[in-house]
Amino acid sequence: MILGGTRDSRLLVYITALIALVLSLLPVPQLLSILWPNLLVLVVLYWSTMAPLAGGMLLGFLAGLTLDVLGGGQLGQHAFALSLLTYLALKLHLLTRSKPLFEQSMFVFIALLLYEATLWAIDGFGGHGTGNWMRWLHVPVDALLWPVVVGVLGRLHSPR
Amino acid sequence: MAFAGGGLNSPSARENAPGGRFFFCALLSLLLMYFDQRDGWGQHLRYALQAVAYPIQVAVGSPGRLAGAAAEMFRTRASLRTENDALQKQVRDLTLRTQTFQALQQENAHLRGLAAMPPPLVSKSLLVDVVDADLGPYRQRLVINHGDRAGLYRSQAVVDAGGLAGQLVRVGPWSAEVMLITDPEAAVPVQVLRSGERTIAVGTGKTRELELPDLPVTTDVKVGDLIVTSGLGGVFPAGIPVGEVIDNKRDPDTLTAHVRIRLSAQLDRSRQLLALWFNAANPAAPMSHAMLDTLPAPSIADPVTQPPAPAKPAAAAAATKPAPPARKILPGVGPHGGVLAPAPKEPPQ
Repeated sequence: MILGGTRDSRLLVYITALIALVLSLLPVPQLLSILWPNLLVLVVLYWSTMAPLAGGMLLGFLAGLTLDVLGGGQLGQHAFALSLLTYLALKLHLLTRSKPLFEQSMFVFIALLLYEATLWAIDGFGGHGTGNWMRWLHVPVDALLWPVVVGVLGRLHSPR
Repeated sequence: MAFAGGGLNSPSARENAPGGRFFFCALLSLLLMYFDQRDGWGQHLRYALQAVAYPIQVAVGSPGRLAGAAAEMFRTRASLRTENDALQKQVRDLTLRTQTFQALQQENAHLRGLAAMPPPLVSKSLLVDVVDADLGPYRQRLVINHGDRAGLYRSQAVVDAGGLAGQLVRVGPWSAEVMLITDPEAAVPVQVLRSGERTIAVGTGKTRELELPDLPVTTDVKVGDLIVTSGLGGVFPAGIPVGEVIDNKRDPDTLTAHVRIRLSAQLDRSRQLLALWFNAANPAAPMSHAMLDTLPAPSIADPVTQPPAPAKPAAAAAATKPAPPARKILPGVGPHGGVLAPAPKEPPQ
């Protein structure tokens, strides 16, 4: 399948994003929830890198807004952070998508550090609790999970 | 590249430069953050978004509830029977206790010189189902299946079968979010039942524990003490059980006590909660939410310094004499059995 800006590909993008959202919000035991990956952010990063026309800025913003409404914290917090991430991914997609998976994971690691740092800063400005070191723990997990995300989502749309 | 299709070629991608859109999205998010901090129409937006989010929350919470329902279905007759027996025994015990409780309440009213017994504290309650749980270390929240349409309001107190659960922080049309007392941002004004010592319990992000920070080493707290709400702060009424002291360490260097409480409520297990409405005529009731909304911050004023009736004797006299009928009863003096706090230690100015 060729992913352009067509309606079919948009549908695929939003369906995968919705599945990722449900998975990332699943109620899990407390110990596990510290390490629970932020799958929605990974999926948004994937589509922004591999098919920048299908999702685009709108996907990032909407995904962030959904996280805001469901997750709590300040309204617009995740929307801002994820918009920023989507923008960077779209800008750099030609650079990153041709790199080997390991290197892509490094990019993902840096991107998620930036994401979490943005949230952390907004929490601080807004007078909410900024949590402790444990809030950063999902970042390496996300980076390690990137090859899996690429494997699964790549199968969905590449003519392999 | 496997991905290199016609629509993905770089020229077309370059046409859709994301810069302008990013600027727009970022601006919109910043505006959202700004208005969310203020209590204006940011609240209305929240209200609408809460309604949109409700189906997703139900979907996300459903695997856990399905598992629970399945377990329920396959329970044996024997286990149901033992549970039934236990419940019947509990009902008998509680009936007995209620009878003595009513006699005590009557006697209490008589001792205080009140002409009549105060009306029951809880005027109405609503059983609500938990549809989604967020019990992480940074947030301890539950989503329940009723909202504005059922009359629930912001800052309403919610309990479970064991004790205090939390308060409503966001209310949508058909759902509401409960901030549990274990949430790291939550704080409950509490009282040690045995000694009457008042302090504040804060959430730690652990679902079964609270902490009492900022206590001096001289505090009269022991392991096993029951902790109840003190009724200060205007959200929770007095005398609702919060938990039991399980750990009590004194630090001689900083002259502080580290006290941990195990919750009475089983927040990680309860699938149903009770939202409560209080009788404003009962002295233990918190302020009405209409009053709370007009206040800039929850007021922790001593009611003795704010005479409810004009014909009130001097405050110092009120602290020593038996209470005259018109006097507002001190916070913490609840109608719950045995929750009788001593009068404030220092007479107010």
